[in-house]
Amino acid sequence: MIPFDFDYYKPSSVEEAVRLFESLRQQGKQPMYFSGGTEIITFGRLDYLYTNAVIDIKGISKCQMMTFKGENLYLGAAVSLSEIEEANLFPLLTKTSSEVADHTARTKVTLGGNICGKIFYREAVLPFLVSESEVVIASREGEETRPILDVFQKSLQLEEGECLVQLVTNKKMIEAANISIKRRRQWDTGYPVITVVGIKVDGQLRVAISGLCSFPFRAKEMEPFLNDTKRPLEERVSLAIRHVPAEVLHDSEASSDYRMFVLKNTLLDVFEGLEMEEVR
Amino acid sequence: MENIGDSVIRKEALEKVTGKAKYTHDERTKGMFYAKKVISPYAHAKMTAKDTSEARKVKGVRAVITGENLPLIGEEVRDRPPIATDKVRYHGEVVALVVADTPEVAKRAANLIHVSYQPLPTVQSPSHAIEANAPLVHENVAEYEKDEGIEPIPKSNISNHTKIRKGDIEKGWRESEVTVDESFSFSPSDHTAMETRSAKAEIKANGSVVIDTSSQAPFMVKKLMNDYFGIEVGKVIVNTPLVGGGYGGKASVQQEILAYIASKAVGGRQVEVFYSREEDMITAPCHIGLDAKVKLGATKEGTLKVAEIVYLFDGGAYSDKAIHLSRAGAVDCTGPYKIDHVKCDSYSVYTNHPYPAPYRGFSHSEVLFAFERTMDILAKKLHIDPLQLREKNAILPGHTTPTQVRLNRSTIGHVPKCIEKVKKLINWDEGELVEVNDRIVRAKGVSCLWKTSTIPTDSTSGAILTFNEDGTVNLMSGVVEIGTATKTVLAQMVADRLRIDVRDVHVRMKVDTQTTPEHWKTVASRGTFMAGRAALAAADDALTQLKKIASTILRARVDDLDVGNGRVFLREEPSVGLEFKDIAYGYTYPNGNAIGGQIIGRGNYILRHLTELDPETGKGNPGPEWSVGAQAIEVEFDRRDYTYKMLRAASVIDVGKVLNEKSARGQVTGAMSMGLAFGGRETFVFDEQARVLNPRLRTYRPIHYGEHPEYIVEFVETPHIDAPYGARGAGEQGLLGMPAALGNALSTAVGVPLRQLPLTPELIWRTKEGIGE
Repeated sequence: MIPFDFDYYKPSSVEEAVRLFESLRQQGKQPMYFSGGTEIITFGRLDYLYTNAVIDIKGISKCQMMTFKGENLYLGAAVSLSEIEEANLFPLLTKTSSEVADHTARTKVTLGGNICGKIFYREAVLPFLVSESEVVIASREGEETRPILDVFQKSLQLEEGECLVQLVTNKKMIEAANISIKRRRQWDTGYPVITVVGIKVDGQLRVAISGLCSFPFRAKEMEPFLNDTKRPLEERVSLAIRHVPAEVLHDSEASSDYRMFVLKNTLLDVFEGLEMEEVR
Repeated sequence: MENIGDSVIRKEALEKVTGKAKYTHDERTKGMFYAKKVISPYAHAKMTAKDTSEARKVKGVRAVITGENLPLIGEEVRDRPPIATDKVRYHGEVVALVVADTPEVAKRAANLIHVSYQPLPTVQSPSHAIEANAPLVHENVAEYEKDEGIEPIPKSNISNHTKIRKGDIEKGWRESEVTVDESFSFSPSDHTAMETRSAKAEIKANGSVVIDTSSQAPFMVKKLMNDYFGIEVGKVIVNTPLVGGGYGGKASVQQEILAYIASKAVGGRQVEVFYSREEDMITAPCHIGLDAKVKLGATKEGTLKVAEIVYLFDGGAYSDKAIHLSRAGAVDCTGPYKIDHVKCDSYSVYTNHPYPAPYRGFSHSEVLFAFERTMDILAKKLHIDPLQLREKNAILPGHTTPTQVRLNRSTIGHVPKCIEKVKKLINWDEGELVEVNDRIVRAKGVSCLWKTSTIPTDSTSGAILTFNEDGTVNLMSGVVEIGTATKTVLAQMVADRLRIDVRDVHVRMKVDTQTTPEHWKTVASRGTFMAGRAALAAADDALTQLKKIASTILRARVDDLDVGNGRVFLREEPSVGLEFKDIAYGYTYPNGNAIGGQIIGRGNYILRHLTELDPETGKGNPGPEWSVGAQAIEVEFDRRDYTYKMLRAASVIDVGKVLNEKSARGQVTGAMSMGLAFGGRETFVFDEQARVLNPRLRTYRPIHYGEHPEYIVEFVETPHIDAPYGARGAGEQGLLGMPAALGNALSTAVGVPLRQLPLTPELIWRTKEGIGE
């Protein structure tokens, strides 16, 4: 049960949504963009989240887009994870997002919601971090396309009132050899102990990781070691895992030392998997 | 017309599969109020202030209750304030209740209550609790009102001690050539029934208290409302519709007390207390934890001689059922083996954890994890096949149990037959460990199991059968339909005895303690036995009445009559007879004269010859029979990652007699999956302040589809002579050996003994690599 009342708006254009946000703010409201709504429901009932006006972006066609235009794939922020799986235009994203939550939830959870949500795993962002995609962000000044690596720092760095509209990914990246591995505390359900996504571009491995720290990240500091082909694989991995960018999580899913153990093995599996992929 | 053994579809099936079945929380009445709990974020803390002023100002708030002037409650020791007043003893404990017009208002107001806490040092485990300098959860444990025979140790965290002394321990050790000494532990966890708890209470103008509750023990609620609040038993009316899973958790009485207190605070208006999933997990009683030490001695040939055992049950913050749970763990402190010399000290210990309810199997899966793991460790030391060691020592008629009950062919099932069958099912002769490649191995583990039900010696069950004008029958039993299909099985028995079609037996699902005959509690796999005996007695009573009236009309002796196909007829000339419909509502002669009246059959059952346990030796007859079984599991284990898949799990349970094939398989399979989830994943994770870190289903995950092994279930049928058709309990047994079997399989796979639950890859990694927490 959500203990607070809120107004519901469903604009049909990005401009309208952004304008609405601004005017609600001026009225002293605490508006929130709303897509799948799963966090608003589940965190609202726990008092982790409050809003008194939601702006549903599912009625905006740009936010529902799933199309190739030229060399780029445009994915709207309001597309549900299950729709992404069914269309399967970005196999690495399919693989990664299909491991998020469960099927029932994924029919509601959206791409934008997963990336902008409070639950810090945000695994759907990982394929975009390794693909170095671009994000389309709407604000009062209009729409702007920016590299995701600039905008995503632990979470998507949006100003108040800004809205994620689309993610744009180059075909070359989508076609690159790729792998996505999720390791859990036990068996096949639950949050990740670690999720690692990797692609091989121009002979170089790119890696993004969720579950290891309290935010997902592109492992820029680790990649040089992983790609240091002069060293044996085990050593490359051992050196790389010394360069985790922040404190390693220690919680009810896994201890920090166990996470490091899993990280090491998972990185080895990424290499193994990608070499198999290259044959294709 | 076969009734017994058939897979009769459960009587409430259509209601359930169409989503129309009503549970306690589904029924709302106009004018009802709603209560919201404020719960403690600390596991042990003094409360220095409760500021309710803001909450009281919210429009629509009817009462704010902070718990003063309420009696202490609890089933064997009255140690629990219904609402904590001066200190809290577990994370999730209720510290205030807000009653309001709507759930939303109640919640909003509850958020405005400010409680000031002064954290106290916490007791983190039973082993910690008994250390000399451990903080005291209860300062004056000896001063609580308590049942006879309960002896808390003053100025300690020990609420009770059960002693088992069988044979001569010294002699046992002298005769032993090989010994093992092992320790095991696991934390409390949850039942996670699909339906969270709820209750509604209303106090009528005449003083009657009407309670609707999602409970396995509505008759216990009635009794406890009398014990705790002095309400006349006849004025307590408890209604229980279908219950969406209990697993023992709903045999504890908590939500009903809160609902009553809330109703009383608003002049008797009906108030609902509903548990969110989080409250259902930590505020409501949980599944017990255990620290165990098991020492076994045997001859070189593998004959068990002695068992010396200490069980420290994690009784959590309040005793309630913990004492009984620790006693049940003592009663069957070993596995199902002949051991002449047994010493067991079983303690119920206070900690700052949520307090326990019964959990499917009532301490048996917990104790068996420790004991059956030790059996495997002993087998390895003896270089004897673990199944062979079990078979060699299997308890048989003529042997005695730890409480010195001499068993006979009825009171114990057939352990060797179960072992023999499970051995084939799991293809044991292939070997315990098979190497698949340099990383992957397949490993098998086994466990035996047994259980008796240590329910009160005077537990009773009753049944009423009323006839309809068309000759069909209505069955009323105090068994709560918690999902086990017991009421359908009772209908099968009645149909069989009356020789009518089971479709002609209508079952009342809802229990109402004012009009439904009592069934002590729907727990302990006792439904088919006790309620079954009562239902058969009621059917016999009805038959006697049917024959009596038929005898008058047919002008024949009662003993010349027989019954079949809904008729009473002359044994010698079956064409001469009367249909049930012509006599079930009285018989009317052609001239209008009438005799008889509605046939109402009644029956009851009380357990026979049970005794309390001797306080010094534990000697006594705790339960009517022991059901037994043997279980096995095969896992595929990755030696690099320490991860595993469960491939196949097999159970052979001696159920005495299969009464409803699919229901029996469903019960055993469901119990197995629950045991594997407890063994492999489910646990509360506590922080250093004993707070539960994972009190929700995002982070506390029962087993899901896709994670299950293949389940193989077979039965052995050794009749329990006293029971209807010889049937033994079947609701819990499938769970009992699964955690131990999983532990045994994985210990074999890893090559080091695993001593904790749940068996997560991280635990296995830590144990194998010798890495501390």
